[in-house]
Amino acid sequence: MKWNLEKAAVNTSRRSFIRAGMLAAAAAPAIAVWPSSWPQIPDQQPQGQGLPEFTGPEPNSYWNSIGPLVTEPQKGPLILLTDRPVQLETPRQHFLTPFTPNEAFYVRWHLETLPNSVDLKEWRLAIEGNIEKPLTLSLPDLFTRFKAVSIAAVNQCSGNSRSQFQPRVVGGQWGNGAMGNALWTGVKLRDVLDAAKVKSGSVQVQFEGLDRGKGPAGFGSNRFMKSLDLSNPVIDEVILAYAMNNKPLPMLNGFPLRVIVPGFFATYWLKSLSSIRILDKPDDNFWMKTAYRIPDTPHGTTTPDEFKTGKVPTVPINKMPVRSFLISPDGSDKIPAGFPLLLQGIAFTGTGGIRKVEVSDDNGKTWRDAHLGEEFGQYAFRTWQFAWTPNQPGMYQIAVRASDGSGITQSEEAVWNPGGYLWNKIERQQLVVGSAD
Amino acid sequence: MNKQKYLTLIMAMFVVLAGTAAYAQHKAGQYEPGSAGKIARPLPPASSIDAAYNVGPFPTYRPILAPGEGSREVDVYCNTCHSPIYITMQPPLAADTWAAEVAKMQKTYGADIPDEISKKIIQYLGSHYTPETRKR
Repeated sequence: MKWNLEKAAVNTSRRSFIRAGMLAAAAAPAIAVWPSSWPQIPDQQPQGQGLPEFTGPEPNSYWNSIGPLVTEPQKGPLILLTDRPVQLETPRQHFLTPFTPNEAFYVRWHLETLPNSVDLKEWRLAIEGNIEKPLTLSLPDLFTRFKAVSIAAVNQCSGNSRSQFQPRVVGGQWGNGAMGNALWTGVKLRDVLDAAKVKSGSVQVQFEGLDRGKGPAGFGSNRFMKSLDLSNPVIDEVILAYAMNNKPLPMLNGFPLRVIVPGFFATYWLKSLSSIRILDKPDDNFWMKTAYRIPDTPHGTTTPDEFKTGKVPTVPINKMPVRSFLISPDGSDKIPAGFPLLLQGIAFTGTGGIRKVEVSDDNGKTWRDAHLGEEFGQYAFRTWQFAWTPNQPGMYQIAVRASDGSGITQSEEAVWNPGGYLWNKIERQQLVVGSAD
Repeated sequence: MNKQKYLTLIMAMFVVLAGTAAYAQHKAGQYEPGSAGKIARPLPPASSIDAAYNVGPFPTYRPILAPGEGSREVDVYCNTCHSPIYITMQPPLAADTWAAEVAKMQKTYGADIPDEISKKIIQYLGSHYTPETRKR
């Protein structure tokens, strides 16, 4: 698979670049800057571009997905998953800090007609359905009529790390970078619902944004809507956020307003929010009834054969299980024996905050506690550090595991479900330590 | 050979030896052609103080589909709702998995694909994107 930037002319392709180089060399043999071995160079990929064109059927062996880096509006170079609708993954190095920069924050849309532009003169948030007082709120209404609140919370795609599944499953082949932590500021959903006066007999709150698809009406390919049970305690924590890390939301992350559901997977965090509907019966639209469901089994895991029987009960995906990652070093540097390294990474969970992060340098046989960084609330990334000096040369399998406030510790068990959701097994990184003398 | 010349020779030999040692310690000055500029740098947005917030169009990137009977149908029909990257992004999949995916697009997502076309698309995907057949 080769990538053609539509803007780029044909002559930027590697082959013609090489041909141009050969012509130049033939025409000017006196040019001495080429090393004598230069004809071999075209067979070597420039560093960092030697990734395979696809992964599978085995698991993706890279930390991130393997697509090319691209830029999109308001975004620095991110890893391309899909261009239409837009899906972009955050490269590993952006996870060294507890807050993920807006320009590096991953992007995932379901429907291809997503907003390029929003006119705030026209944009309104409608609160409708089973309520006494329908509301139509402008952005200034949200700024002035409701109290502003902030929360640091991790937004993670349900399918983050899907490319690790074995056997592989269909869907966005994310590496580990479909996640990010931001400080979200906005108004409490509860305050808005109180202003609209929810009628008794209401069961769910449904969210919808400005995005639409090319599919026919009544199908999931036409509209994307997600609902939460009004009885779920998370309702009191939901924020309708207009700010991300103290700045307006990037268009691709849901300008001007998005739903924040702390601790829950990102499928509920609707972007470019335009409607909130109070339902008096459970939402049966495609994105609730059919998609984003997990096996109603311990850890949401099943097997392909078991699932084929059609007897595995499912429930809508909800809270995120605990995860942790080594971010630096990332395995690309060979380390001299005796070098005093600082292993650094992040951990997070949907339940009860991070209590402990442990590191193993012997492939998970023995574990030692890492030092935890500042806590920015129970739903945020928690950074960790571990001073480590490998004294002997060797191939070290570094493993990291976190424990959360619900008493759950990451395990070696890999989940499998047909959606490719809930991946959270202990991550490993090989570090190569060479002789120092 | 007088003492002065002898010392100079010793010095010169030392310099050569030191130079050789330095050469063995590291290699330097190696370059190869890179590919700068392949990632487009975003233009700054136009500024106006009205209520319109505009980021302009999102760039598209077209993967080159495996050549073969049915690739045109993929380009026309699959491309309606999503980029063909949705195909090339997947790991190699069994032919019956591809058939189920196409059926899902028709039945679950309501894609308006005539049956004779969807048969061609299934045949194409099953011929080029399975663990046995996928080349790139």
